[in-house]
Amino acid sequence: MFLAVLTPKDSSEVSPDAMLIQQLLQRDVDAFEQLYDRHSRIVYALVLRIVQQGSTAEEVVQEVFLQLWRNAARYDTRRGPFVPWLMALARNRALDHVRLKSERQRRREDQTEELPPVIDVPQFERALDEKRRAERVRALMSLLNPQQKKAIELAYFEGLSHTEIAETLKEPLGTVKSRIRNGLLRLKEGLRAAT
Amino acid sequence: MSKCDQFRELIEAYALGALDAEERVAFEAHVATGCQDCAKAVEEARWLVSQLGYLAPDARPSEMLKGRLMRSVRTEARTAQGSVRPKTSIPFWMWAGVAALLLLTLYSAWDARRLQRDIQAANERATAILQQRKELEAQLRLAKREARILTDPNSKKIMLPPKDSLMPQLEAMWHPELGLCVMGQKVPMPANKRVFQLWLIPKTPGSKPMPMQTLWPDADGKMVRLVENTPEPMWNTKAIAITEEPEGGSLQPTSEPMWIGGIS
Repeated sequence: MFLAVLTPKDSSEVSPDAMLIQQLLQRDVDAFEQLYDRHSRIVYALVLRIVQQGSTAEEVVQEVFLQLWRNAARYDTRRGPFVPWLMALARNRALDHVRLKSERQRRREDQTEELPPVIDVPQFERALDEKRRAERVRALMSLLNPQQKKAIELAYFEGLSHTEIAETLKEPLGTVKSRIRNGLLRLKEGLRAAT
Repeated sequence: MSKCDQFRELIEAYALGALDAEERVAFEAHVATGCQDCAKAVEEARWLVSQLGYLAPDARPSEMLKGRLMRSVRTEARTAQGSVRPKTSIPFWMWAGVAALLLLTLYSAWDARRLQRDIQAANERATAILQQRKELEAQLRLAKREARILTDPNSKKIMLPPKDSLMPQLEAMWHPELGLCVMGQKVPMPANKRVFQLWLIPKTPGSKPMPMQTLWPDADGKMVRLVENTPEPMWNTKAIAITEEPEGGSLQPTSEPMWIGGIS
C-alpha cells in the first residue's frame, strides 16, 4: 500500500507537492513533470549512493517515478509530507536492485509492502528547501563519531541488519545496536535543536 | 522496564530496516496489539530515517532519463485516454430538446385525454339531442295526426259525459283510418298509484270491454291521448268508456266507468 503524505497536519496551507499530486490524480502529465523536476535530483542521488552505478540508478529512478505515476490514485493526499515517502520508496527500490533473492530481500520486500502510509512530521519539523535540509543533515551527521556514522550508513544505504553490520564491522551485536540507536537519537535531537 | 519500553529501543532500528527477522516480527506483533505510543514513535522514526537520504552525495540524473520517463508517461496517458470509453456527454441543447419533447409528449397526452373527454361529452350531447329530436318528431307526428283527426271531416266526434257531475266532460274524435283521440280539460288526477284507462265496448253481444291505453292529465288538468290502432273498428264499437285502474292498467275493468260515450 502506497499512500503519500503530503501536507503537514498542523498546517492548513496546501504545499506545492500536495497541489501537484492532486493534479496527478487527474492524470496531469505536466504536474508529473513538475514533481519530477522538483525531486528527481535527491531521488537520483540517494539511489546512486545505494546502487553505485549510474545506469542502474537511472533505471531505478525511472521505476520509482513510473510507480508514482501509475499508483497516484492510491495515495492519500490528506496526510503528511510527500518527499520522505518518496525517498523511502526510492531507497527500497534501490536496495531491491542490489540484493539477490535472499532472505534479506524478502524481508525488505515484506517491509515495503507493510510500509505505513504515513511518515509523520515531528512537531519541531519546519519546511526547508532540499539544499538547506541536506546541509543540516550532513552537518549533524558529521558530529557523530565515525563508528556511529558508519553503522547507520551501512543500515541505510546498504540495507544491512544489526547482525550483518556487526559481522561487517567485526563489532559485538549489542555495540552495533547501541551505536545505531544512539546515533539516530543524536541526529533527532540535533534536528530538534536546529529548529 | 515495561514491555513497551523494551520495544521502544527497537523503534529507530525498525524504521531503519536494521532489525533481524526475529526482533522485527516481535516488534510488529507488539504494534499490532494497538500500542499507539509505539505506532506514533515509528512514524516519527520513519521521518528521521528519511532524512538520512540527504547524506547521499549530490548528483543529477541525465536529461535522457527525463526524456525516457516523460515519453513513457505520455504514452501511458494517451493509451489511458484512448482506452477510456468515450464520454457519452450529451450537450445541453440535446437535454433541452429531450425536455421539450417530454413536455410536448405530456401536453399531447393531456390534450388527447381532454379531446377524448370533449368528444365523449359531445357524443353524449348529440345522442341526447338525437333522442330529443326523435321524441319531438314523434310528438310532432302525433300532433299532426291528432290535428288531422280533429280536423278531418271523416272523423266522428264522441262525447264522453262523466258519471260524476263534478267531473268535466271529455270528448273523443275517431277517424276510421287515423285513429282515436281522447281529450279533456280540468281533469283531476286519479288517486295515488292509479290511472285512467280507455275501453272499447264492442257491438258484438256478450263481448267484453276491450282494454286500450292508460292516460292521465298533465299538471294543468289537460288530458290528450291518441290511439293509433284501436282493437276494434269504429263500426263495430258501441261505446268508449274510461275507468280508474291500478297503475299499469288492467285487462278487465275493475271499477265502474267514470266517463262513457256511445257511438251512434
